Amino acid sequence: MLICENCAICLTLEDNADRRSPNLQHKINRDPPSYAEDFKAQYQQYDSFRQLVMQAPASAPSDNIVSLRDLIDFISHVANNYPALTADFPQQLIDLLAQHHEALEHELREKVVGALVILRKKDVIDSPTLLNALFPLLTATSSKSLRSLLYQKILSDIRTSNSKATNHKLNRTLQTVLYNLLSSDRSSPKGIWAVRITRELWRRQVWTDAKAVEIMKEAALSDSIKVIAGGVNFFLGGDKEREDLAEADSSDDDAIDMRAMKHQYGINKKNNKAQKQLRHAALMVKKKERKKGKPHPLNFSALHLLHDPQGFAESLFQKHLQGNKSKLGLEQKLQVLQLVSRLVGLHKLTIITLYSYFLKFLTPKQASVTSFLASLAQSTHDLVPPDAIEPVVQKIANEFVSEAAAGQVAAAGLNAIREICTRQPLAMSDTLLQDLVMYRKSKDKSVMMAAKGLLSLYRDVGPDLLKKRDRGKEAAMQLRTGEREKARFGEQQVGTIEGLELLEAWKEQERRRKREEAGLDPDAPDREGEKEEEEEEGWKNWDAQEDDSDDSGGWINVESDGEDINISDSEDEKPSAKKQKKEDEKPAAKTTEEAKTIDELNRLATTRILTPADLTKLNELRQSAAVEALLPGERRRKAIEQKRHADDGLTAADLEGVSNLGAKMTKEERVALSKGDRENEDHRGGTAKRKERKEAAGKSTTNKDKARKKNMMMTIGKARGKQKRSLRDIGRTLKGHVDRQKRGGRRGNN
Amino acid sequence: MASSKKKKEKKKDFQKAKLKVGKTAAKADNFTDTSFRAKAIVLGKQSISAQRSADTSTDQAARFAHHVSLLRHRSDTQRQESLAYLTTAIATTPPTTPLPEPVATLLPKLQPLLLDGTPAVRRQLLKLLHVLPAAEIPAHAEQLLLYARAAMTHLSADIRLFSMDVLDWLVAAAPDDAVAAAGAWVKTLRCFLGLLGWQAQAPAGAAPVGGWSVAAKTAGSRPGSEAKANAKYATSLAAFVRAGLVAVTRPRLERPQGVPLLWAPQYDLPRRANAFAHLNLFGPPRDEDNEILEDREDRQRIFALQFEGAVRAGMESMKREGGELGRAAAALRRAVEDGMTDYERDE
Repeated sequence: MLICENCAICLTLEDNADRRSPNLQHKINRDPPSYAEDFKAQYQQYDSFRQLVMQAPASAPSDNIVSLRDLIDFISHVANNYPALTADFPQQLIDLLAQHHEALEHELREKVVGALVILRKKDVIDSPTLLNALFPLLTATSSKSLRSLLYQKILSDIRTSNSKATNHKLNRTLQTVLYNLLSSDRSSPKGIWAVRITRELWRRQVWTDAKAVEIMKEAALSDSIKVIAGGVNFFLGGDKEREDLAEADSSDDDAIDMRAMKHQYGINKKNNKAQKQLRHAALMVKKKERKKGKPHPLNFSALHLLHDPQGFAESLFQKHLQGNKSKLGLEQKLQVLQLVSRLVGLHKLTIITLYSYFLKFLTPKQASVTSFLASLAQSTHDLVPPDAIEPVVQKIANEFVSEAAAGQVAAAGLNAIREICTRQPLAMSDTLLQDLVMYRKSKDKSVMMAAKGLLSLYRDVGPDLLKKRDRGKEAAMQLRTGEREKARFGEQQVGTIEGLELLEAWKEQERRRKREEAGLDPDAPDREGEKEEEEEEGWKNWDAQEDDSDDSGGWINVESDGEDINISDSEDEKPSAKKQKKEDEKPAAKTTEEAKTIDELNRLATTRILTPADLTKLNELRQSAAVEALLPGERRRKAIEQKRHADDGLTAADLEGVSNLGAKMTKEERVALSKGDRENEDHRGGTAKRKERKEAAGKSTTNKDKARKKNMMMTIGKARGKQKRSLRDIGRTLKGHVDRQKRGGRRGNN
Repeated sequence: MASSKKKKEKKKDFQKAKLKVGKTAAKADNFTDTSFRAKAIVLGKQSISAQRSADTSTDQAARFAHHVSLLRHRSDTQRQESLAYLTTAIATTPPTTPLPEPVATLLPKLQPLLLDGTPAVRRQLLKLLHVLPAAEIPAHAEQLLLYARAAMTHLSADIRLFSMDVLDWLVAAAPDDAVAAAGAWVKTLRCFLGLLGWQAQAPAGAAPVGGWSVAAKTAGSRPGSEAKANAKYATSLAAFVRAGLVAVTRPRLERPQGVPLLWAPQYDLPRRANAFAHLNLFGPPRDEDNEILEDREDRQRIFALQFEGAVRAGMESMKREGGELGRAAAALRRAVEDGMTDYERDE
């Protein structure tokens, strides 16, 4: 029989076909042994249908009573109850898919995929089996809908098996499969699936290891254009995408207002449901808090996880850019170039031929030349020999920067030169620089700004290349006193702890103050024990640190008159000749002194361990210095310096920069600008805003407010009564009022 | 003096597009985008009526083909009518002239109707099957059996009952192939046991669950229809077993006297379609259930090993019911006895 023989309802329904699946499924899940016979009947039916389909896959037997689809669905839902009977079931489905996926009717095909996933969820089959069944189809099938279904199922399976703890074994297997897919046939576009899966898992932070990056590296070096674009795009934008997703997850738009909920619970009718809701909300809030407290998972960017970036960059360059054989279009070439230059800039790689490759693209008529310029600037770093870059800079100057060229073009060229020279200042010759700096007199604002940018850069990094009158006061003085040495190729700055000099100065000051208090000579050297004593105190203090810093109440000491440093464009700032002579007398002494200060700086870091107290003080000093830096004069310079992080790439827009300032806005833009702020402008006063905030937080109003807002009809009776009072009564009330005022209210204060 | 508007329009024609650094030049007005690639060309409509000619004989063929195509119509009356048309068309075709469509193409379209939900359609289908030229059936026995088995395991009792009619017809039309085709013997017998509720000998040591409910099934909780169905199953099983197990002597071909060939039948032209199917040269590998059992001895061996016990036990209990059931059981017993008399048991 089809359904339960012992159930009266089913017997009456006997031949009604609709009674099958859901009802029986429910019953089987409750009591498997009793319904084994019924299940067997269904299974037999499935089996004979399956044989039919295996014979002629295109015509699935789907009469109007039962279809193979429904049977498969039903069996997959209850298969876990009859493991012996359905032992072959998963394998049969896998075979059906593997052999006939092209010919099968699409609904049946999708159902089979769904059934396999259900079997995985019920733990009838394991993850590798499922992935081994689905993944080959993904690359083999020609049906778009099936592909998207498979892609989605594969991803969700990997995500669920990685949800509790990272499933290293599964990840490793799949990564190997993907890697092999890419490396076995480099020219096939099937590799795009490896790219898509890896990118998605990277985005969701399921895969964050070097192996995933290795897959993408392989993709970037493949022969199929789609795959190359996928791999290159991953390196250029994959990390940003990941960050964005993480940010979107962490931002709590649907924050629960616990206060309001509690208040509501106090007012509304108390029933179990409300209580449950409240408890649930509290749980959620706690969970969220805990999540917030968790340390941020440390994820390295894909560019940093690369093994052998030099080899990668070289082969990318040779394969896709250098030769004539590459099939890539300009767009894709630009992306590859961007990646190569990013790698070169980030890891300070050496690919000398890269710079001469740029030469032929550096004409204003070249399409998207600004992107080429940006890539060029990006690929420059301080370890590139100046000889390699010099011709490129020269070419840019020749092609872009001339009186005849349009303002936009000249500005783009100048900006590009500035960006290159920021990274490798030695690539500039003095004649060229002096020539370029002259453009600061240009009438075109964008050209003028760009030239000034170049000027201020060289005042900082190589004033000796500038004409004397362009050097500016500070740089000229430093040059004269020998404080500034000419930069040499390959020179590295000595690293220090940020703000250490501030700490050193503060310590010295403190020491002097203490000694003065004790009545000793502030300049005399320390006693032996004194220092250790002080240090011990620092360690002792280590628990109390937080309270200490709270004491200062978030106030940061700021020097009232911060030094005003101006970048002046005037040429007439010349240091007086007298002073110059005086300083010139002892350059040798000065250099030794300089060396000494560097040593001094590092002395603190090298001779002793910084105590927790030291570190908090250091932090404090650093903060105050940062605030000082925000005072007007300093601010501008800092803003220019800190605008970009070293890891961020340079874009074409950066180079076009100011030249777009004068560009006409579209009508929409103008309208938006004119409306702009007014939409969310609030004209109300402080009290009204405060009141609204209070109301939104679920707080009560004052008595005064209640009285003011009271319905007039409720007060009218009392008011009428007041009118009818006798004079004596009025007097009495007034007296009472005065009396109460004196006492301080009805209940009285005294 | 021309109007300023006119001047402007004139000027417009000779205006130069402004080029911007780093941007691609704007497309010309008469630019044609040829970057797409067509994957397929779809014709709006194709008429089939043009292919038909007015000739009456081809007209008949066209109508035949039309009704064949209507076999998948969603309305059951339409399916039934088409089947009726085809039945008369085939029946009226003289045996010497070929059918408008060969049986080989007709059968694949008829087979799915074995599982049709409407009884009238199935009845009509059976009529159609009966008028098909019997000589052509053996070649398609395997496919037909697949569908017959699907009908035997069907969840609807009506279709299960109907499958017996089909099986009877098949055994009558192609007695050799109905039992010898791939999987025909083992799987069909297993289906029979399932229908009758007789437990086959479980190959694995699976504990029989709810054995009493099987007994209840044969006993018949609802005596009327159940007993009738069981009787029919048993009768069909008897015919099937008889076809598979009982030896038939076929008239030998007349061969010229005087040719002294010892193994002459071996060198005859095969009388069956696909004579070397049992070698399975091209198909996927078969499991043991799917073996082709051409020899009667093989079938006897498998019957004795896997089915005989269950069949005999079931027969006994059925015979005790008496009446129609008892008669069917007796017929079945006779068939089994006849088939297994010359089987040598190795005990």
